[in-house]
Amino acid sequence: MNCYHCGCRLTEADFCTNCGVDVVLYKKIMMTSNAFYNEGLEKAEVRDLTGAINSLRQSLKFNKNNVEARNLLGLVYFETGEVVAALSEWVISKNLRPKKNIADDYIIMLQNNGGRLETINQTIKKYNQALVYCAQDSKDLAVIQLKAVLSMNPKFIRAHLLLALLYMDAEDWQKTERELKKCQQIDHGNMMTQRYLKEAAQVQHPVEEEIQKVTAVKQKKNEEVYRYQSGNETIIQPIDVHEPKGVSGSSIVYLVMGLVIGMAITFFLILPARIQSAKADVNNQLKTVSEQLSSKSADMEEQQQKVDTLTQSNKKLQTEVDAYVGTDGTLQTMEDLLKAVNSYLTTPADTATVAAALEKIQGETKIEKTSQAFQNVYNTLLSLVGPSVAAQYYNAGISSYKQGNYAAAITSLQKAFLYNKNNVDTVYNLANAYYKSGDNTNAATYYQQVVTSFGGTNRARQSQKVLAEMGITATVSGNNKTH
Amino acid sequence: MINFEEELKKFHPSLEIEDAEDAIYNQDLTDMADIMVKIVKETKEAETKNTDGTAE
Repeated sequence: MNCYHCGCRLTEADFCTNCGVDVVLYKKIMMTSNAFYNEGLEKAEVRDLTGAINSLRQSLKFNKNNVEARNLLGLVYFETGEVVAALSEWVISKNLRPKKNIADDYIIMLQNNGGRLETINQTIKKYNQALVYCAQDSKDLAVIQLKAVLSMNPKFIRAHLLLALLYMDAEDWQKTERELKKCQQIDHGNMMTQRYLKEAAQVQHPVEEEIQKVTAVKQKKNEEVYRYQSGNETIIQPIDVHEPKGVSGSSIVYLVMGLVIGMAITFFLILPARIQSAKADVNNQLKTVSEQLSSKSADMEEQQQKVDTLTQSNKKLQTEVDAYVGTDGTLQTMEDLLKAVNSYLTTPADTATVAAALEKIQGETKIEKTSQAFQNVYNTLLSLVGPSVAAQYYNAGISSYKQGNYAAAITSLQKAFLYNKNNVDTVYNLANAYYKSGDNTNAATYYQQVVTSFGGTNRARQSQKVLAEMGITATVSGNNKTH
Repeated sequence: MINFEEELKKFHPSLEIEDAEDAIYNQDLTDMADIMVKIVKETKEAETKNTDGTAE
């Protein structure tokens, strides 16, 4: 502390040791200023910004050179969104103490952040415009402007308060309270905020006053309650109310009743619903499986149709193959016929080889189904070698017949009959061989053929006798042949 | 009950940054110390005048 007269540093004495002026009052003024500064600092620390502003202004009224108080006042102004006021205080502070002054840092910080400063200026202009709108009764526009202001500078208390006032005027109490709560978070000691909050509470909860009165009465009886807001409801929770200890009989009864009711609800409400749900699940699964089964069945039917189609196609192809085989067979028969012809032309006396070839042809195919040219060649060859071959087979057959080998006799005689059908002895002996072997059916056939083809001959009459013995009446035709 | 019009009168336009210079210059920086010094000075001057008049 320096002397106001000579600027010399003061001591504990009540006068200046340099110039001798009385500094008692001056010291008291300085100390008062410091006391207000301390008070302002304490209030600022607990966010009572309004109180801090008042104390710091008081401090500066006592001592304008209290740089700390002025810097703190600027900081508090800045916190409430009053940037111009804050800047003013810091500029004055810097002028009072050009060096080692934190205000210098604050100013540089703002000056370096040009965008921030411009934003703040815009918010101030918009706030002023909102005030103009309010004066013009354009409250909706004012609300829009203030919302824009607060989006850019959320700590601008005056804007919050004006917006709250507009909400109050529109009787939108929830929004009013919301804005006022924000104000309270920034500045606990703002009287306007407190007043508006009280007004909003009175309008929203008119019974609140009565409750407060009742509460006051109850507080006298040490019955305190804890009240808080949950949405639109006010929850009043008693404090220091203890439940009676121990279990009473009624509690047990209530417990049992609760259990019974719970079980009943489980059985009659929850369980059927669960069962129904489970059934529905099972039905759904069954439906899904059925659908899958139907799909599989359809696939199987489709596959079966394909199999049938392929089978038919296979049969058709097999038929074609058989036809080709038949063609091959024909060719083979043709080759056999050519061999037989070749054998006859080369060695006409070797009728056995020709006969064997002809028999092979007869075994492989039906002569009547072959071409006419084939049949002509075959029949011609057969007529050329037939009598000779027939005689050979006939002799062999008779030899076997005489030896009692009727099976061999039948075979040889049939071949003889094949090569020469006009020999009555061949037919008659063939019939006898069948008769002797016990095959009466074939025997009767050949006997009848003797009677029919060679009627009037001894063989025919003998055949008739045998047929008569067999109980068969022979059919006689007019075509009689002599042997 | 709060009167909107009355409450609105309590809100004043905020100073813009362009107006900061004027605000600084127009700020009354007179404090209690200045007043005390002035009073002391005036008192001394008055005493001096009285002393001079008595001497004459």
